[in-house]
Amino acid sequence: MPGSLDLETRAVTSAALLGPDYRRVSFELLCKEGDEVKAGAALMRDARRPEINLVAPAAGRVARVERGARRKLLSLQIDVDDTLGAVRHDPPADDERSTLRGFMLESGAWSSLRTRPFGNIPHPEAEPAAIFVTALDAEPFAPEPRRIIDAWFDEFRSAVSALEKISAAPVYLCHAPGHTLALGESDRVRRVAFEGGESAGLPGIHINALCPIGFAGGEVWHLGYQDVIALGHLLLRGTTWQQRVVSISGSAVKNPRCVLVTPGAAIDELLADELIDGPTQMLAGSPAYGRRLAPGQNFLAAGQRQLTVRATSVAEAETAQATGGVVIPDDRLERAAPPGIYPVPLLRALQLGDAERARELGALELVEEDVAALSRACVSNSDYGLLLREVLNQLEAGQ
Amino acid sequence: MMSGLSAAGSGYRRILKLQLLALVPVSIAAVINGGYQYLLVLAGDPGRAGDDLRSNLAAGLGASYENPGLYDWLAAGLAHFLPMLLLALVVGGFWERIIAAQRKRAIEPGFVLVALLLTLLLPGSAPFSHIVYGMSFAILLGKGIFGGDGKTFISPALLGVAIVQVSFPSAAGEHPLWQGLAGYAGSDAIALFHRGGETALAEAGIDLWSAFIGSTSGTLGTTSLLAVGLGAALLLVTRIIAWRLLLAQLIGVAVVATLFNFSANAAGAAAMPAYWHLLLGGFAFGAVFIACDPVASCCTNPGRWIQGFLVGALVILIRVTNSTHPDAVIPAMLLASITAPLIDHLVIAWNIRQRARRHV
Repeated sequence: MPGSLDLETRAVTSAALLGPDYRRVSFELLCKEGDEVKAGAALMRDARRPEINLVAPAAGRVARVERGARRKLLSLQIDVDDTLGAVRHDPPADDERSTLRGFMLESGAWSSLRTRPFGNIPHPEAEPAAIFVTALDAEPFAPEPRRIIDAWFDEFRSAVSALEKISAAPVYLCHAPGHTLALGESDRVRRVAFEGGESAGLPGIHINALCPIGFAGGEVWHLGYQDVIALGHLLLRGTTWQQRVVSISGSAVKNPRCVLVTPGAAIDELLADELIDGPTQMLAGSPAYGRRLAPGQNFLAAGQRQLTVRATSVAEAETAQATGGVVIPDDRLERAAPPGIYPVPLLRALQLGDAERARELGALELVEEDVAALSRACVSNSDYGLLLREVLNQLEAGQ
Repeated sequence: MMSGLSAAGSGYRRILKLQLLALVPVSIAAVINGGYQYLLVLAGDPGRAGDDLRSNLAAGLGASYENPGLYDWLAAGLAHFLPMLLLALVVGGFWERIIAAQRKRAIEPGFVLVALLLTLLLPGSAPFSHIVYGMSFAILLGKGIFGGDGKTFISPALLGVAIVQVSFPSAAGEHPLWQGLAGYAGSDAIALFHRGGETALAEAGIDLWSAFIGSTSGTLGTTSLLAVGLGAALLLVTRIIAWRLLLAQLIGVAVVATLFNFSANAAGAAAMPAYWHLLLGGFAFGAVFIACDPVASCCTNPGRWIQGFLVGALVILIRVTNSTHPDAVIPAMLLASITAPLIDHLVIAWNIRQRARRHV
């Protein structure tokens, strides 16, 4: 393992791709239960956009395809077996836009790109107004991106130069202040430092500051620094990066730290012997912006960098409802609101399910993580992430 | 159905508790100063003690106007404050119960805050019938028909007091606690300033210090800037009220009062400096507890600046130019409160326009 990063590697025996991480994808299985697959082998593709591959995060045997209501794919689980090896991709023959896009689609790297509005995987032929690389993480107890990027700097650099070539749009490299990313000079890669509170690392904040979404129907793309490293790994070595740095923290964790783990790793294996006894509550993400894990959701999500486990009392198990009580417009909401958004009118529109009003008030700029702090600050006990997604689904269907 | 929780979820109850807690210093000041003012008048003219419930209660508790001490003030103050508050609570609870039964939901606790605010905004001598009248309007018209706690459009207590003020403009009677008041319009001190400036205030025994701690005549809760300041600090720290709204009101008062000070013929209240506007009358209390009501004020930050400035400016404007309404806090806040949805609407329309101009 390269560089200065001295992290424990947690081996797990089970990993999965989670259906809800890939919104708007009609999964078409390319394997069946019992198949043995190499790491990076295509497991599924999008039936509507067959170029988009979803690949195995690790080598192993396809153990289970779990489906929920209306046969919606919930997860595709793999029993990890490293002896099966990895798929080797030839590096892209040239720097042409179509070659690079083809390489990303084929190798599965494309599926780590997300659009704003809506948070989907971008269309293979789409043209973004900008690409945002999130190279900072201001959330509490998050892994330190600076050290991780430095440890895999060659991968990071080659991936950024590839991202620059897949479209004519500027690539914004959003980093922490004082983090010198010594990339080659290019007029389309723009380094922007963000500082501020816990929200400084949210892509929504960067997009709002640099290329805000309006009503014109355009989109921007964003991806996280670890996905950039994964793309670089594919470009330089031809194989899938079978590791991610994940921070485990929270009051119920005995030894909070960062570990290296397979993407999509089983959470109960990851947390074996890590927790104190007693009832706990798990958040996918940080205490600030994490989402409560649904019962039965047992794998790390795509792009997830943090796992927070808090000790709770049983009595505290008050769950947020889709629609709660009245919004009391106190001043805490203003602090929790994303920039440029008036929280109270937006929250009221979300509660009413008024998609048109929510769009006018900036719902297209947001995804679930941007309103997590509002859900916490608002006395109405509503889950605005759920409500926002309902509204976004309506808006997307109307486009 | 989650009827029992509609507005009265745990989060809302927390806000309500803090709002009530913030009114504790004001209530204590109201009790002590109410008793102090009552006994002060009696000491000057013992024959003024009436034969009403509150006066008898004060006498029964042994509040003496000869060399009164803390006990006498407390006893006389409680004898006035508690019956009013209890009556307001009973009336509020009565209507709340009927509304809850009609709407088939649980009783919402917000009426407690309304009752306390209404009591603090009335003189200690307000007739009981007027309290019933004001509280009924506050709960029915101010809260009930808009859907209850958290959905009000103007502060219910403000509406109740405004209705009482409008209905009984010349209500002042012989009771000692009407002394120094312009009926329900509140403290007469501003009218005094109108007539004779700071000299007139000094003759009435009002100086900066007494106005700050609140040992002046006025409606029950509005005299002590100190107590209001303590409550405001709690509400600001817990982020229940918007600091922008409060600051904007102070700016509005400062700017407009100063403009009047520099106007060509600054005399009477036009010559009154901004700090006296803050110290006298009900502005400070109203600014913190009525105009900053999180539910019934603007809910966008630019709107809060605009509405706050409007409140401050209107208070001074009415105070200076309309000498028949020396306090002006209630009508000014009523007006500003009614404009809040309009201000928000314009702010949001502007925000949407900005968003529409973006190219992505």
